[in-house]
Amino acid sequence: MEPGIEAIFAMSPAAIYIGLAVLVVIALTSVAVRQRRGPLALDHARSLMGSLDIEAFRNLVDPEEEIFLRSCLPADEFLKIKRERAWAALAYARALSHIALQFSRFGNAARGSDDPSLAELGKQIAADAVEMRMLALATMGRLFIIATFPSLRLPSPQSLIEHHGRSIGLLARYSMLQSARRQTS
Amino acid sequence: MIHWYNLVLLYLWIAPHLLLTWVAFLLLKRRLHVKYPVFFGYVCYEIIEFVLLFLVSQRNLNLGAYYAHIYLGTLAISTALRFGVIQEIFDNIFREQKQSETVARVSLRWTTLFLVTLAILCSVFSSGHTSSTLIAGTAWVERGVAIIQCGLVLFLFLFSGLLGLSLQSYAFGMAFGFGVLSSVELANWAMHTEDLSVSAAKVLNLLPTGGYHVAVVVWLGYLIIPARIRIQHSERPMAEMKEWNLALKRFLL
Repeated sequence: MEPGIEAIFAMSPAAIYIGLAVLVVIALTSVAVRQRRGPLALDHARSLMGSLDIEAFRNLVDPEEEIFLRSCLPADEFLKIKRERAWAALAYARALSHIALQFSRFGNAARGSDDPSLAELGKQIAADAVEMRMLALATMGRLFIIATFPSLRLPSPQSLIEHHGRSIGLLARYSMLQSARRQTS
Repeated sequence: MIHWYNLVLLYLWIAPHLLLTWVAFLLLKRRLHVKYPVFFGYVCYEIIEFVLLFLVSQRNLNLGAYYAHIYLGTLAISTALRFGVIQEIFDNIFREQKQSETVARVSLRWTTLFLVTLAILCSVFSSGHTSSTLIAGTAWVERGVAIIQCGLVLFLFLFSGLLGLSLQSYAFGMAFGFGVLSSVELANWAMHTEDLSVSAAKVLNLLPTGGYHVAVVVWLGYLIIPARIRIQHSERPMAEMKEWNLALKRFLL
């Protein structure tokens, strides 16, 4: 047996529990320290959004596009193309998932605003972002299955694209309201 | 040496409960006892429990024979209340997130089932060496409870982080404090299953009260100075407006 593995088996159970306890405390402390980070910038949320080509993602998951390809290509070629499109779409879905996380953080920070209108908008942004995150994670799962088994037919993630649009709208409203408040103050 | 040890032990026993009265006061002052009634109840219970055990431990009252049984009884109630506080924090996170609430509840049930199974398996397959039946039995149960509570707090942080949910500062502080407390208790009860020397047992006695002290300081800290993420305002409002308009157009066309 390898010396390292032998050492692990020789450790008493108490030492393993103590090690686990120390790891848990370190993990919780790092989360607590990260929570007291610097200010969140609306610019960051906006730049993330601008970096994503949502039209390309829409094209990759368009069911009509898939029907067209299925009718034009031989079966083997279609499955190969479908797999490649699914992997490409998965990268977009992952990016949308990350964007949703940033939106959620921004929305939750905005909820603490002294202005009730901004706080309410922040609440809506956060709620919408959480839903978008859940949809993005589910879409990533579906796209991974399609990439692995391209012969399967699964629903298109249109609702994810709609949520992305809604989030843009909410963030734009927040930005406009914030600017208006600053001009009047 | 012995005098130093007794002073530290006494301090670690009394100080956290004095700080808990401050925690209770701040909860009442900020009307957080309405939002977190189980946590408030737990804090009050811990103060009453301390007063009871402190009185029982006084030699002039001749109640020392009952100390162990009273301690175990109050420990059971305290453990139950801690589970209640974890549930309360969980409910607090998902109160305004109806969409994710169902997913969260199902995930929590499966996670709890997994943790209970894990705790039972750990207890069955770990052999203890302590000679005292009462200590061995208590350590067996409390180690399992600590595994479950540690796991639930970790699940809370991981699940809320996965979905981008934010724990409000006070709820975060409570969860963080309970996480530290459960971890320390896991280590403490795990070591109690081993056969320890007198000096090792003496040092070990400082661990649960020391961990409890840290947890209370964390709760107090988050009540006094809650973490608040600030929004940085844009320096180019007009340019930003144009970029929002462009992004919206791309979506609509």
